[in-house]
Amino acid sequence: MSQNTFAIEFKNVTKNYLITKGRYGLLSEKVGELFSFGRSQSNNRRVITALKNVSFKIKHGEAVGVIGRNGAGKSTILKLISKISYPNQGQVLVKGRIGAFIELGAGLHPELSGRENIFLYGAILGMKKKEIEKKFDEIVDFAEIRKFLDVTIKKYSSGMYSRLGFSVCAFCDPNILLVDEVLAVGDNNFQQKCLDKMCSFAKRKTIVFVSHDLRAIKSICKTVIYLEKGKIKKIGNPQEVIKSYLKEAKGDQI
Amino acid sequence: MINSINELWQFRELLVALTLREIKVRYKQTILGMLWAILQPLSLTLIFTFVFGIILKVNSGVVAYPVFAYSALVPWTFFSNSVTFGSLSVVNNGNLVTKVYFPREILPLSSIGAALFDFLMAGIILILILFFYQIPINLNFLLILLIIPSIIFLTAGISFFFSAINVMFRDIRFVIPLLLQIWLYVTPVIYSTNQVPQKYQIFFKLNPLVSLIENFRLVTVYGRSPNLLEVGFNLVLSLCVLVIGYWFFKSREKIFADVI
Repeated sequence: MSQNTFAIEFKNVTKNYLITKGRYGLLSEKVGELFSFGRSQSNNRRVITALKNVSFKIKHGEAVGVIGRNGAGKSTILKLISKISYPNQGQVLVKGRIGAFIELGAGLHPELSGRENIFLYGAILGMKKKEIEKKFDEIVDFAEIRKFLDVTIKKYSSGMYSRLGFSVCAFCDPNILLVDEVLAVGDNNFQQKCLDKMCSFAKRKTIVFVSHDLRAIKSICKTVIYLEKGKIKKIGNPQEVIKSYLKEAKGDQI
Repeated sequence: MINSINELWQFRELLVALTLREIKVRYKQTILGMLWAILQPLSLTLIFTFVFGIILKVNSGVVAYPVFAYSALVPWTFFSNSVTFGSLSVVNNGNLVTKVYFPREILPLSSIGAALFDFLMAGIILILILFFYQIPINLNFLLILLIIPSIIFLTAGISFFFSAINVMFRDIRFVIPLLLQIWLYVTPVIYSTNQVPQKYQIFFKLNPLVSLIENFRLVTVYGRSPNLLEVGFNLVLSLCVLVIGYWFFKSREKIFADVI
């Protein structure tokens, strides 16, 4: 992949979420909406704009951090990149296989054993069975769960649970890595391992990293996007952007 | 739609993995385990035999009533379980839908895949029952290769439709059991089609499951050949339901993660 093509491009992206007034809308309205296949929206409802006319480009191999206060639209960006959600206006262009570290463990099933879960979660993240078999030992060792491989994971401690989740993700080898606030996993020792893994990814892969952990952002990312209320407030090198973020957020808990 | 099917093919390993998960998880921490797959149609057969075979004396022709009922309950249970679990599948896997991307139709399809496994187990029992009652199996039996796909397509189309609607209206959860109960009574499981009065036959036949289940019973238990034109028509009709259901599902899919 050449350097001058973009891995991710947002073109004037706007994303709205609808919040219905009552518990249910009018039935007639609902039924109408159900069968109108366009994107018509009634004005009766509150519209929350998560992203407002946002544009940016991320190059192949670039590690980009996204910071901002709660509700600034950080996670929405990741959802749009991974095609979980779609923009109301504008375009999101993505080239490459996406791997998402979004809330680890969403794909794990408590009733299955660690071994079964590695295969299940791997498949959910888009890995082929052969690929998982090849990396199986690495995953198990990284997660440090070899002794408990055939135990149902509902018996796991929460640390083991999230270590398993992280490890499967870490070995799914995507071109584009989306990370949402997941490095705070396990004990200090494992957190360091995760951070190291991330840094080694940052050398080879495109990363979009959402976090409140500014130190981790500084050590991994080369560019930082600072979001405020759905708009890009500042974009550029980590030192400067983080500095202005801290100035704005002074007095608030980060 | 071609693109969607292409993408679904790319994700086929996920479909297998999720289907296996459904099968494994469903019987975890149950004492009888996989036996439940066949106990469900078998116990219904017992009840139906008692109520409709012995008390109400429904005419089952040349075969014993238990065989008559069971042979229809096998495809019916598949249909009923698929629609029940399939229509809840997207909402029940909300944590996946809002966090990971994959073609969403994999969720209802994996429910159907799991039900298909039960169907297979119950089908094997059906063959054993036929042996037990010394009912000969002839070449017409092979026609199930046309009938079963029709049942699967119809089931999939209906499951797609309801699972997409259920994302927006959770009422579906309550509607489905009611609907299936009514559907069972207007389908020739307990009785046979020729017991339906002539003047209602036209309305009766509007239910696509009627001839599918009737024909399934005809080729397995009676060893007779059904009207082949009807079998072909059913296949086409089921395919249409599948295509419409799939199209509806895909047209709503993009908002699933926002609405769940």
